[in-house]
Amino acid sequence: MSNREKLQAMLVSVFLLEESEFSFARQRGEVDTWDSLGVVALAVGIEESFGYHCRPEEANALRSFQDVLELLERKGISFVE
Amino acid sequence: MWVTPAVRDRVTAALPLPLGHPGEPLPEGTKTLVVVGGGTLIDAAKALRVDRRLHVRLIVIPSIWGSGAEISPVAVQNQDGKKTIRVGPELLPDVRVAWPELAQTLSSDLARDACGDVWAHALEGFLSPLANDELRTIGGHLIGDLTKARIGNAPGWFELSAAACALQAHASVGLVHGIAHTLEGPLAGGSPTGRFGHAGLCARMLWPAMRFNLSRSEKLRSIFDEVGLDVETVFAAIAGLYDEAVYDILLPSLVARWRDVLRDPCTRTNVALVRPGDVSFFVEKAFR
Repeated sequence: MSNREKLQAMLVSVFLLEESEFSFARQRGEVDTWDSLGVVALAVGIEESFGYHCRPEEANALRSFQDVLELLERKGISFVE
Repeated sequence: MWVTPAVRDRVTAALPLPLGHPGEPLPEGTKTLVVVGGGTLIDAAKALRVDRRLHVRLIVIPSIWGSGAEISPVAVQNQDGKKTIRVGPELLPDVRVAWPELAQTLSSDLARDACGDVWAHALEGFLSPLANDELRTIGGHLIGDLTKARIGNAPGWFELSAAACALQAHASVGLVHGIAHTLEGPLAGGSPTGRFGHAGLCARMLWPAMRFNLSRSEKLRSIFDEVGLDVETVFAAIAGLYDEAVYDILLPSLVARWRDVLRDPCTRTNVALVRPGDVSFFVEKAFR
């Protein structure tokens, strides 16, 4: 599984999405489960899947699934296929 | 006065007050409403008073323990088969009266289910990520008392129930209540055993769900350790609430509605622990 697929699977699981609902272009406001509890779940999911401990302000600042990908890229995780 | 049918004769013999019903408006000039019953009836009165802006004193007398509705600022209502949970200090009754003799005629099954509801409030409140150190200390003492209480009909459960409800009201409940809230509507009509109400579901699912929580987080074990509770002693106390034959009946519904369970606000307080694939833990009975 590529890192991109791993990230997608994590986001689908954390935010309780159907596969068909997923797109990296999804914004926070479009995902009803991306509330304060969702932020916690996302931080836990990132740590479990990629081993990066997300600081609360980092997790709170994320506004789209693309933001999550870019955060992880900045932490040295490659999403080049 | 509103009285649940199970204790109506006994209550009206002792309290000769005019009787009413949740579906009827209160008589003009009503200054006090006395409600004798379980959580559903008490919550209906709490909500009515707020919704209609009624200036009536609300006196509640629980006829069974478990819900803790008599001391909680929460009203759970079933609307169109879906649970809604409201929280606010305005929902608190004005007076709580203890009349434990009302529960003397409870069946052993109902008493056991009610004990399960108390245990679920206590354990989920204690383990809630929203509980602070003070609540954990209080919860630790309460759980210690619960491990010494015999599951069944005993007057002491009313006070244990009130304490457990107060604990969860200051923290939250979790997966067990998420399961109960999701399944109790769909299963209420079609249950062959008649024991899939809220308390029954909490009782049956408590041990499996707590085993699940423990399997997902080592931190939970340390929370018990920090207040001097032995996890295995606590789990041994709740294992008797589990009933495999009943569990097998409700399992297909749990699987079919797992996604709704995950989206329930109570489950979502355990959002870091519970995921879509985790239904396999319950299907495979990995808690045994």
